[in-house]
Amino acid sequence: MFDTLNYLLAGFAAAATPTNLLFALIGCFLGTLIGVLPGIGPAAGTAILIPLTFQLDATGAIIMLAAIYYGAMYGGTITSVLINVPGEAASVITCIEGHAMAKKGRAGAALGIAAIGSFIGGVVATVLLVVVATPLSKLALSFGPPEFFALMVVGLVLVTSLAGESLLAGILMTVTGLLISLIGLDPVRGAPRFTFGMPELYDGLNFIPVVMGLFGIGEILATAEKPYREVIRTNLKGLIPSRDEWRRSMGAIWRGTGLGFFLGLIPGVGAIIPTFMSYILEKRLSKHPEQFGTGVIEGVAGPETANNSYANGAMVPLLTLGIPSSPTIAVLMGAFIINGLTPGPLLFQERPELVWAVIASFFIGNVLLLILNLPLVGLWAKILEIPYQYICAGTLLFCIIGAYSINQSIFDLWVMLGCGIIGYLLRKLNFPLAPLVLGLILGPQIEKSMRTSLEMSAGDFSIFITRPLCASLLALAVAILAFAALHFAPKEIRDPNAD
Amino acid sequence: MRRGWLAAAGAFLALFAGTIYLSLKLPLLDALGPGPGFFPLILALLGAALAVALIVELVRESQGAADTHGAEVAEPFMPDGAALFRMGGIAVLLLAAFSALDPLGYRLTALLFITLLLLVLGVRNVLAIAVVALALSFGVFHSFYYWLKVPLPIGGFGL
Amino acid sequence: MRLLRLAMSVTAVALVAALGSAGASAQQYPTRPINLIVAFPAGGSTDIGARVLAGIAEKMIGQPIVVVNKGGAGGQVGWTELARAKPDGYTIGFLNLPATNTTILDPDRQAIFNEGSFTPIANQVLDPGVIWVAANSPYKTLKDLLDAAKAKPGTVRAATTGILSDDHLAILMVEEANPGVSFRIVHLLGGAAQMKETLGGNIDVSFDNVGGIVPQVKAGQVRALAVMDTERSKFLPDVPTAKELGMPTVISSSTRGIAGPKGMDPAVVKKLQDVLVKAMADPDHIKRLEDAGLAIKPMIGDEYVKYFNETHEKAKKYTEWAKKEKK
Repeated sequence: MFDTLNYLLAGFAAAATPTNLLFALIGCFLGTLIGVLPGIGPAAGTAILIPLTFQLDATGAIIMLAAIYYGAMYGGTITSVLINVPGEAASVITCIEGHAMAKKGRAGAALGIAAIGSFIGGVVATVLLVVVATPLSKLALSFGPPEFFALMVVGLVLVTSLAGESLLAGILMTVTGLLISLIGLDPVRGAPRFTFGMPELYDGLNFIPVVMGLFGIGEILATAEKPYREVIRTNLKGLIPSRDEWRRSMGAIWRGTGLGFFLGLIPGVGAIIPTFMSYILEKRLSKHPEQFGTGVIEGVAGPETANNSYANGAMVPLLTLGIPSSPTIAVLMGAFIINGLTPGPLLFQERPELVWAVIASFFIGNVLLLILNLPLVGLWAKILEIPYQYICAGTLLFCIIGAYSINQSIFDLWVMLGCGIIGYLLRKLNFPLAPLVLGLILGPQIEKSMRTSLEMSAGDFSIFITRPLCASLLALAVAILAFAALHFAPKEIRDPNAD
Repeated sequence: MRRGWLAAAGAFLALFAGTIYLSLKLPLLDALGPGPGFFPLILALLGAALAVALIVELVRESQGAADTHGAEVAEPFMPDGAALFRMGGIAVLLLAAFSALDPLGYRLTALLFITLLLLVLGVRNVLAIAVVALALSFGVFHSFYYWLKVPLPIGGFGL
Repeated sequence: MRLLRLAMSVTAVALVAALGSAGASAQQYPTRPINLIVAFPAGGSTDIGARVLAGIAEKMIGQPIVVVNKGGAGGQVGWTELARAKPDGYTIGFLNLPATNTTILDPDRQAIFNEGSFTPIANQVLDPGVIWVAANSPYKTLKDLLDAAKAKPGTVRAATTGILSDDHLAILMVEEANPGVSFRIVHLLGGAAQMKETLGGNIDVSFDNVGGIVPQVKAGQVRALAVMDTERSKFLPDVPTAKELGMPTVISSSTRGIAGPKGMDPAVVKKLQDVLVKAMADPDHIKRLEDAGLAIKPMIGDEYVKYFNETHEKAKKYTEWAKKEKK
């Protein structure tokens, strides 16, 4: 224990040099910028900035890259709250509550709590990283394809919480999302499905243009419908969360931290799932779940914290085993490697001073982000006071560049427009969008993990029941389903007798 | 709202029916269990059932309401003329912009797009339009291409 | 009104300037930035190798080399784009052999390009295939593994990084060279998934490339049983080659090289080759790729063309086998 502390202190000393602090600051700034620009997600943005770091020494380069990584997580939040465009995939859920808050004039509070929650989540997760990294990583390895499948099923079953008024509509949207996600090359055999002969569809519909269309463009069309757009004035009160909001957020923040970190330990989970789970958890635990969707602060606090805590948690399999948990982290790993830091079990032994300096810089990065972003919250909120036409023009161009820049593909733009129109129609009709997105995310994972599990067992279905962790998760899913059925059934039965 | 939901449910039903048809053309079973067509088929069947259930529920509800409350006040579902112009304008301009990106290149397309968009949305300040359009087209292109090294389309005119 | 006219004249000037830069001859090539297509999303090993090379080569060639990620369908989308581009030397891209070959050969993929659609320019990396297991695996040598796979056919779980990847073909090569040996093939998506499942005990043996496992080998977490190349890997000097172990036909590797669409001007090709060779020999390039565990193997011009054709022939045989057996 003392050794660890010693190393950590030495790490702080190394990371806190003026030069390295400067790099961290630049990294946070660049990262936030990347997060704000849609389409160029943290993965691509980090990759693009890799050559920038060639001029720096290894420690400085890695500190800057890690800072870029966190900054990008937060940058995605800004656009979600302000203009309902998810800057990166994980920010989708923030569009739902965060933007609703912005429309009520509380954009500042939303951004503020996101910054604070991210800070707490990040710092606590880093502490956990220091303390429990090695033993927990072994545990995470036992999560194989069957367990993954079970986890996704649990996630799917939880969609009943996102359904809102009509359970039928909610499930319908989930099924639609699942179906859409199946477009493309079948993951196991490679046979094209629903692709109508277009190679652009072989990988399915790209997620970012779809959500940018559903949320961003859908929102623009819906707003253009109204004749007079009152400028949202944010007074000082709107910038800071109220006492009541603080109270409600705190619980969400702590729960989000735990959820994000532990899901981060499991390689392959991706950043979207912790944020969705946190949102669902908060809705479940809330005393007024029907308010979710109108701008409830714990709906921002929880997911945003989970997001950042996940980002740190995902560092555990990277640093201890050399396994990247998501494409973004894979890029980070590549960047580490190019700079001579080879993640993996030997890292702590061969270059402890470097690793601990990096871990120390995780702390510093989180602090810097908070310092950078909190004062700017007021500035960001002021952007909403620009006359709407300019915001609209800027947002649309944003979306065009963003969707195009992922694969330099015009096809993605058409997808985005199509989803925009669909998003507008769904919005008009009050169909819930969240279950659709959940279906879209979980679909490929569920099918792939199930069929991979069957490949492993040579077609034997009992693999799902004989493995203890998998079986328990499936039992959990059944329990949740039963509970939801009981919860909803009485109303349906009561309906025909209602006046 | 009711009519909208009915129409939507009908659209979903059509979508799922089409998917069922396409899924049946794929191998349903595999050496190892579910084949490529298996999951889509199950999902589409489920979806179709749900859509039918939704339609049934909507019809039942509207009958119930007609019996006890009288005719429902028809909510204006379609947006009015000016709104339609704005929304249609946005959609058409986006369509045009996408089609023009490759032949005209980003800078020219963005310039025209922003200018026309601002006009459609009701902005009349010519200077503002010019400045914003130039900044968002040429300015953005320069930053993205030369600083961020993210390529934006260059069209036939070299723009 | 005056401002509007000013804006118009500024635009006109910009237009003229932009128009003027279009069009160039091979003598002055290149006169504008070159697009380098990478058929995978940012951050993968092809992408990283590409960015390092581009960063060094662009200083030598005098124009920016912009890496364009066009991922999708395991590379098919990017290669389609490359095949369809104008052969003027301003669009080049990375080919990943044998993945490009199997995409052409698999009828289900309906690729619009074929082996004649490209002008191979220069190869950068050759990453040999490797057979490896977790450190706590009961298989200490390749022989142990093959014995087990022969004793109980279809039970030893072997993972690849994708259907019809070089790993997949390598498994088939091993089965062919050892009649009676049969693996239970599990197709995972990417090296990270492989590492995770093997270390977690869900997979018995993995077929991947050297570059993907060097750190874990050094850490003692995994054990490499054989390298599928003509000579030992300098990153894994203690690991025997399949040839040494009595299987000279098991040669498999993943290569990444630069090519252009067919019909490029030979003078332009030559200029690119000269620059790329110099860039690949640059000590910075060598160091960074070595740190990543990637072995540089430049192949220029005809040598690369020959390699392409050989790889294609070999891939044809195993792809047909894989499709027939539905493995």
